[in-house]
Amino acid sequence: MSVSHHLTDETIHDYATGSLSMPMETLVACHLTVCRQCRARAQMADGVGGGLFDRLEPTPIKVSAMDLISRSDAAADSPASDIRNGASQASTAKVGTTGPVKGVPRPLGRLLPAPLEQLRWRRVAPGIKQYKLDDQHRRHGAFQLLHLAPGAVLSEHSHHDRELTYLVQGSYRDSIGRFQVGDIADLDGSIEHQPVVDSEEPCIALIATQSPVRYSGVIGKIMQPFVGI
Amino acid sequence: MTNMATTRQDKPTEASAALRKRMGDNLKAIGRDRDENAFADFYNYYAGRVKSFLMGKGMTEEISDELMQEIMLIVWRRAESYDPSKAAASTWLFTIARNRRIDYLRGNSRIEVELEDEMLDVENDESETQAGYVDAEQAAERLHRALEKLPQEQRQVMHLSYFRGQSHGDIAEWLDLPIGTVKSRIRLAMQAVRSSLKDEDKAALLNESSGSPIND
Repeated sequence: MSVSHHLTDETIHDYATGSLSMPMETLVACHLTVCRQCRARAQMADGVGGGLFDRLEPTPIKVSAMDLISRSDAAADSPASDIRNGASQASTAKVGTTGPVKGVPRPLGRLLPAPLEQLRWRRVAPGIKQYKLDDQHRRHGAFQLLHLAPGAVLSEHSHHDRELTYLVQGSYRDSIGRFQVGDIADLDGSIEHQPVVDSEEPCIALIATQSPVRYSGVIGKIMQPFVGI
Repeated sequence: MTNMATTRQDKPTEASAALRKRMGDNLKAIGRDRDENAFADFYNYYAGRVKSFLMGKGMTEEISDELMQEIMLIVWRRAESYDPSKAAASTWLFTIARNRRIDYLRGNSRIEVELEDEMLDVENDESETQAGYVDAEQAAERLHRALEKLPQEQRQVMHLSYFRGQSHGDIAEWLDLPIGTVKSRIRLAMQAVRSSLKDEDKAALLNESSGSPIND
């Protein structure tokens, strides 16, 4: 896949330090799946964490290595003892589909109960449909898919904080450039943009914001509570 | 915040390379033979550091002890999944500790790339090694040198962002700096590390530039 819009260093760094929300992590992981260039940068950021880890000042600990091993071997029969299994079961529990969703990176596919066109899209404006991914994260900002008809124009808007957009299908154009499948728009509050869909098929974008956006146009203000971007 | 600037203590490059080899060998021996002495050596070096990381990120000592033990047991049980061609032992451990902390705080797992994803962008095997280098040791060596060369103010902010506090806002408050300054030091440090890795031959992967260049 030929990707032309990438993650910023700041977002790569925040992903490595573990300080992004779950929706933001999902967007980053989608882009990293389809962009080996950014994946190499993410590995570098993990490597920085590892390099600095060696220089951390240790804190005294209470249990010896041998005590830990013997205690764990004694508890090995208990299913709860393998917390790694616990973690992977937890992540399986939220899987929405039985198999991969075609054309969708797995970090997103795992959140979808059906293929893209069969999702229960909600119409929010002419040519604009929305599928909310997780209400639980709403207070940290929006996490949703937008389904935009060919030619659809979004209201011009900017954001209080960071907005990540991952292009799942189709393409759009705004003041920054042209965004196609696999591209990520990694925007901060200073950027005002007005995306226009320029693909023949509907454009589907995965969007996570950290706080509600500020609209500059009146129509935008009216739409904001419905679209939630 | 007494040991806020612990990354200042520079270690000779050879000592650091020797440590990486010893810890990588330990993981291999644990994975292959469940070698208890290898685990003890790994544990004695890293357990206290894992605990420092967890406490630095705001967890109580009690929870940090508990999670540290869980993390070190993951090392004991999963060492065979460590791939020395992809990352240094410390990097592998750091990602386990980071992810376990997120799982604990959030109740759901960290979201990561899945290597069996059919949409995974892979050109050849080499692209899957760390930053496309010949081997992980070469990458770790260059990374170490790059970190050594960072100005103290950048290294301090990197240390804090990886191991202390939960946000850039926390760091800005501690250092009494505008948040923009914290962010720009992070960006500068990331750029410095990246360009020092790029300096030499094998960095074709990072040099590739398409439509909108990565922000140098």
